[in-house]
Amino acid sequence: MEDQKVIDLVKELVNRLLSQSQTPNPNQPISTNPNSSIDSTQFNHALRYAIRILSSRMTPSIASDEAAMAESIKRQLVTQGKSSEALTFADLYSKFASKTGPGSINNKWAVLYLLRVVSEDRKLANKQPNSTVSRGLPAIFDSQLSDNSRVSNDKEVGWSGGVLMVSKDPDNMRDIAFREFANLLKEESEVSEEVLVRDVLYACQGIDGTYVKFDEIIDGYALYDSIKVPRATRIMVQKLCELGWLFRKVKGYISESMDRFPAKDVGTVGQAFCAALQDELTEYYKLLAVLEAQAMNPIPLVPETVTSGNYLSLRRLSVWFAEPVVKMRLMAVLVDICKVLRGGAMAGAIHMHAQHGDPLVHDFMKRLLRRVCSPLFEMVRSWVLEGELEDVFSEFFVVGQPVKAESLWREGYRLHPGMLPSFISPSLAQRILRTGKSINFLRVCCEDRGWADAATEAAAAAGTTTGRGGLGYGETDALELLVDEAAKRIDKHLLDVIYNRYKFKDHCLAIKQYLLLGQGDFVQYLMDIVGPELSEPANTISTFKLAGLLETAIRSSNAQYDDRDILDRLRVKMMPHNTGDRGWDVFSLEYDARVPLDTVFTESVMSRYLRIFNFLWKLRRVEHALISAWKTMKPNCITSRSFIKLQQAVKVKLLSTLRQCQVLWDEMNHFVSNLQYYIMFEVLEVSWSTLSNEMEAAKDLDDLLAAHEKYLHSIVEKSLLGERSQGLYDTLFVLFDLILRFRSLADRLYEGIYEVQARSTDDKKKLSRQLSSRSTEPGSWVSEGRKALTQHATKFLSSMSQELDDIGKKYSSLLTGFISELPVQQHIDLKFLLFRLDFTEFYSQSRPNT
Amino acid sequence: MDSDATRTARDSLELAFQMSNILDMGLDRHTLSVLIALCDLGLNPEALAVVVKELRKEPSQSSNIPADAPARS
Repeated sequence: MEDQKVIDLVKELVNRLLSQSQTPNPNQPISTNPNSSIDSTQFNHALRYAIRILSSRMTPSIASDEAAMAESIKRQLVTQGKSSEALTFADLYSKFASKTGPGSINNKWAVLYLLRVVSEDRKLANKQPNSTVSRGLPAIFDSQLSDNSRVSNDKEVGWSGGVLMVSKDPDNMRDIAFREFANLLKEESEVSEEVLVRDVLYACQGIDGTYVKFDEIIDGYALYDSIKVPRATRIMVQKLCELGWLFRKVKGYISESMDRFPAKDVGTVGQAFCAALQDELTEYYKLLAVLEAQAMNPIPLVPETVTSGNYLSLRRLSVWFAEPVVKMRLMAVLVDICKVLRGGAMAGAIHMHAQHGDPLVHDFMKRLLRRVCSPLFEMVRSWVLEGELEDVFSEFFVVGQPVKAESLWREGYRLHPGMLPSFISPSLAQRILRTGKSINFLRVCCEDRGWADAATEAAAAAGTTTGRGGLGYGETDALELLVDEAAKRIDKHLLDVIYNRYKFKDHCLAIKQYLLLGQGDFVQYLMDIVGPELSEPANTISTFKLAGLLETAIRSSNAQYDDRDILDRLRVKMMPHNTGDRGWDVFSLEYDARVPLDTVFTESVMSRYLRIFNFLWKLRRVEHALISAWKTMKPNCITSRSFIKLQQAVKVKLLSTLRQCQVLWDEMNHFVSNLQYYIMFEVLEVSWSTLSNEMEAAKDLDDLLAAHEKYLHSIVEKSLLGERSQGLYDTLFVLFDLILRFRSLADRLYEGIYEVQARSTDDKKKLSRQLSSRSTEPGSWVSEGRKALTQHATKFLSSMSQELDDIGKKYSSLLTGFISELPVQQHIDLKFLLFRLDFTEFYSQSRPNT
Repeated sequence: MDSDATRTARDSLELAFQMSNILDMGLDRHTLSVLIALCDLGLNPEALAVVVKELRKEPSQSSNIPADAPARS
């Protein structure tokens, strides 16, 4: 019964169609048309034909999706430029779709499909006669289905050969060939191309399709082996599905990272990277959506026109996929690299891949990097302008560690080379580090707030706001500018603070004056005052007493006019002492630098100052000793007259001993005063002047530290305190000890002489008072008269002369050793010392063989 | 109930007809209703479309070609 109904309806349809096709052609000369009336043969013929078509098992090539179909029709209208009609259609469709329930059309999709196909056919038919585009080949469906009724189109094709082909044979041959081809295709593959395209599209979203599935063994998407398709198709599907494999990888990374995120393992840069990848994937999804919509359209066997419809074949798909595959490959590569990396290292690794000649890749990487680097640049910005280390996941290339205030500058922050992305040069990184460090130093050590203004000013000068998100990847110049501006201002501010508020220069000068014994009168006083005290054993000396003496020395010298703040910092320090050490060995001065200057004058720096002080102190002491020896020696020209009474032999002996003593003293004095001069003027003052110049030129604290370091180093090196001149230094100390011995010897000598003198005068005056006072002297000769006196004097003088000779010999051998070592020293300035000591070439001539 | 169903059917047909007009199908209301009925009976729309196309082409070929051919040559 159903069939009967269908037949009736078909009959009606054929009838309507045939009659309709006649009537709407009023402009045609109907009279010439032999088919003006529907004769029964024609009707039967048509009916048969229609039934045959309907009974054929043609199936729509696409899935039955009503909404998608409507969408497709609408888009078609839009592409034809009929947007208003498209809107009307959409409106109608929504009403049409809402009609449900009894009486409504059940198979709405079928209706829509019918509408579309018929309208397309109409359009083609309308276009064709006027179309200048050669229609290569007829559509397969047409040729397959029409037996003999289709001639019109093919005939038209004939014009391209230049001859109007009337014969039907070529057409038929063509049709037959096409049919055969289509059959061949069907035989070869069980699965139609549309289905494969759909499956490939699924695979590219990481979803298993009906035929294309993920294969764990080959690690990729592939067609089932059991499905019969041509080899070429299989390979092509496999190639296309590379995209799916890559997609899976990228997607997997993103979801993994996002899952891991709360565990603090990914970091902000990693997050940014994931977000950027996600955005790229969104783009990719858009493309897939378009492609999927296109996949709705059936694939003709051959393209109808050059600009034929928007269908998707595997080949078209491979063209569509060309660009996404490149991007996806790139993303997969990046994902691989970045799996183990974090923070700056990740950005650096991505940057390494941005160096690419392909503009597509380049742009893509740039876009990606801009996203990835934004947290990093944000960190740089806040570090440089605010000194804040906003680095929760330790991704930044500046690493901070909690330290005490005095070592904040040197150890508080350091660069993490692993996290330094390669697009930031090491020198720039250094500057970035220093700028932030300066801010922190100002904040922590100097308790200064003025840097904020400097930072704002710097940001304004660099043309960025102090707000977030001012910088991005690829704007390395802008970053450099910002860093430079900020560094310039903040460093300047820091130096201002250090110089003006903390009086760095004054303190340096004070250290030079007191610790390096630059203040002559003060040193003299101090030496005079503490001298007797320091001769005591070290363990009996009281620091407080020495402190009192220091205060006295300050008050009695020009140092009293110095700043109170500076003088307060000057202290006496007793070094740890062993038994048998004298006060001289342990006494030293100390200067308390305090925060923030202890960044410059660290403990190690101060210990070097202490070494220099000890050396200078010793030198001063030797000089002082020599001077005081001179004081006792000086009056001998007067006293020598009083020795007339002595025997001639004794007198000669006395005079020769005195002369020996004088010569030795002179030699020592020459050496010590020249050494002293060298230290003061060639070493200290020269180094100080260099330091002063460099202090002026210093642009930041590092420069200042370097200048100071250089200053100290040059003093140490030139004063023979360096490691390389250790031997020379030791010789020098032996020389000093010798000089000190000489001093005590000279004292004894003169004491003896005075006594002899006193005796000889006593002989005349017979003053017993003096006698009793000398009772401690081990001299029974005192009372034995003139002869015994002479005898004793001779004995004393010869022993003295012996000792002097001894010291003199030792001294001269040591000194020549010392002088001969000077020229081989590394430091050029030590040669000046040699010139100075051996100015008259006395020493070099006395030992010509060396 | 019956009148409801008829009205729905009429409305649907009307909408389909308007859509077909927009798509410039050149079918009258009756033909369309026959086609819709066939669709609802489960016939393949693809085949139906072919029928419409083929049967409409048949008569027009004889009138089109003579009119066009001289113009082209």
